[in-house]
Amino acid sequence: MALVRPRLNDFYDLPFSQEQVSFAIPLLDEDLPLYVDPFLLWKSPSQQDNSLHAQIINSFNHLGILFLKDRQDEAINLLIELSECNEVGLGNSMTRKGLKIGQKTAVEILSLFQNIPQVQRSGFTHFEEVQLLIEGVAQDRISDIACNLLMSFLIDYTIDECKTWSIPTPKSHVNTYNCKSNQFETEDVDLPVNPETNRPVVLVPKRWLRFVTWINYSDFQEHYFAKHADADRFRDRVAILNYNRNNYDMVQSYVAARESARKDCSNDPLFRPIPIISMKRKTQALTTLKTGKTDNADKEYERLIAPILASAMYPDLDFAATQSRTISNVLIRDLIFYNNRACDITFDFHKLYESRQIVMEMKNVAVLNNDHIDQLNRYIKEEFGRFGVILTRNPPPKAVYKNTIDLWSGQRRCILILTDEDIKLMGQLYESKQRLPIEVLKKKYIEFSRDCPG
Amino acid sequence: MKRKDVEQFDKINGQLEGIYEEITSMSKKAPNDGVNKFKLRLVNKVLEEANSLLDNKHKPFDDFTIFDEDTLPSNSDVAFILAQYLNCMENLRAENIRQEDYSVQWYWIIDGKTSKEKTAPPKKLNRR
Repeated sequence: MALVRPRLNDFYDLPFSQEQVSFAIPLLDEDLPLYVDPFLLWKSPSQQDNSLHAQIINSFNHLGILFLKDRQDEAINLLIELSECNEVGLGNSMTRKGLKIGQKTAVEILSLFQNIPQVQRSGFTHFEEVQLLIEGVAQDRISDIACNLLMSFLIDYTIDECKTWSIPTPKSHVNTYNCKSNQFETEDVDLPVNPETNRPVVLVPKRWLRFVTWINYSDFQEHYFAKHADADRFRDRVAILNYNRNNYDMVQSYVAARESARKDCSNDPLFRPIPIISMKRKTQALTTLKTGKTDNADKEYERLIAPILASAMYPDLDFAATQSRTISNVLIRDLIFYNNRACDITFDFHKLYESRQIVMEMKNVAVLNNDHIDQLNRYIKEEFGRFGVILTRNPPPKAVYKNTIDLWSGQRRCILILTDEDIKLMGQLYESKQRLPIEVLKKKYIEFSRDCPG
Repeated sequence: MKRKDVEQFDKINGQLEGIYEEITSMSKKAPNDGVNKFKLRLVNKVLEEANSLLDNKHKPFDDFTIFDEDTLPSNSDVAFILAQYLNCMENLRAENIRQEDYSVQWYWIIDGKTSKEKTAPPKKLNRR
């Protein structure tokens, strides 16, 4: 059974949700669009995180020392090796495999230790500053370098978490950076592996992750450089980077400002539910939305329903993806959720219907018909066990509802139908927090079960 | 009714009235919102006790005993049922109280005899 956007725990059929664990659950086929931000370790109240930050900085600055001591080749090679970390699976890659930096970029980075007196004297306190000084270095590099410099800790952390959550850990060869010898060493360690590539996977604490590093070029250019320098004279990125290298105090002042604002720096969760006011607006908009495709109503329906359901179902169901498929020239859009078995009803969906992912097909139609039911039935048969949900506008006709009962009677397939009223109730429960919105799904399932024979 | 039934009646009726007041105020603000599990369990506990006191003649509905948590009863659903139970409790009470000759005070009938346990007049009588 193919899974949509499979995660490590989905492959091993381990029922925990993102909310329950302290690490970012890695995807198997692609990177998570998040980065380790060293600033979060620096500002953390945890002494352990602070020590790890010091370890990153000392190791990075050591490369500068090597470069200044005529051990340039050694420093360059080490930096190139450090620049890519495929084990953690963070960044933009759709294949979990990135590219290292080239010799030229490595030399440019290390030359900072030679060319900027302050850096030559004292090294970096926040090596993310490199983004403001060199072309071609962004948060993905910063994140990968940090992960490689912390690999020993991350391996121990991964082993502990895998023991806690019963993730299998076969022996793997891993290249880890030894911060004492400042060399890469190959180790045999027990780590989880990506079942598709057999490459080791290392877990990263959620508390270190952001979508954008706190010190970053865009923020510097937009909010600091524009106010403190002649922005008209230095318009393009290359000119600003050159300026920064020649006027390092500008970078230092910006970093000081970011340090002062550290209270506002926090990790970004992988998923953030929409605010209550947004939920209210969307459920309200749903009630006045037309059915069908007139005035792009179908696209608007999808635009409204996806965040409503993703937020309402969280954290009992983690949202996986929106998916499109074409059946008989008709474009069908689904919402796919990971079935974490986090509550009794999702546990039953898994146990009774082998549902590892839950598909919710969006149907902005005035009246549901049997073709819609049969379409979803054929689809879930191939991919999603024997359970699916149709999201539609109005209660189905009796004959269509009976069709769903007959499907259960004949094939033990469960297709539930959620209407605008159910979505509205979810929205109300989301706001009032008296009951969980997922209990609306449970209620529909219980009503359906009571109507089934036997 | 026996003495212990009268004591139980006063307790249960008081609880029903208190819960009804609370639920009705919530129902006015958000009639379709779900009642949380904590409140629902307490409502069901009181309804179970009321069911034990009300015989088949006095129960409001043959096919309703307590709320099913899984069906997500709303504030208005619970308010509706509680109102029915309060009316039925009052009917039971009205059938088991009596006024002594020339007295304005009403008393419970315990074991077939007028007791010294005072109670309020029947609510329906007040409306005449």
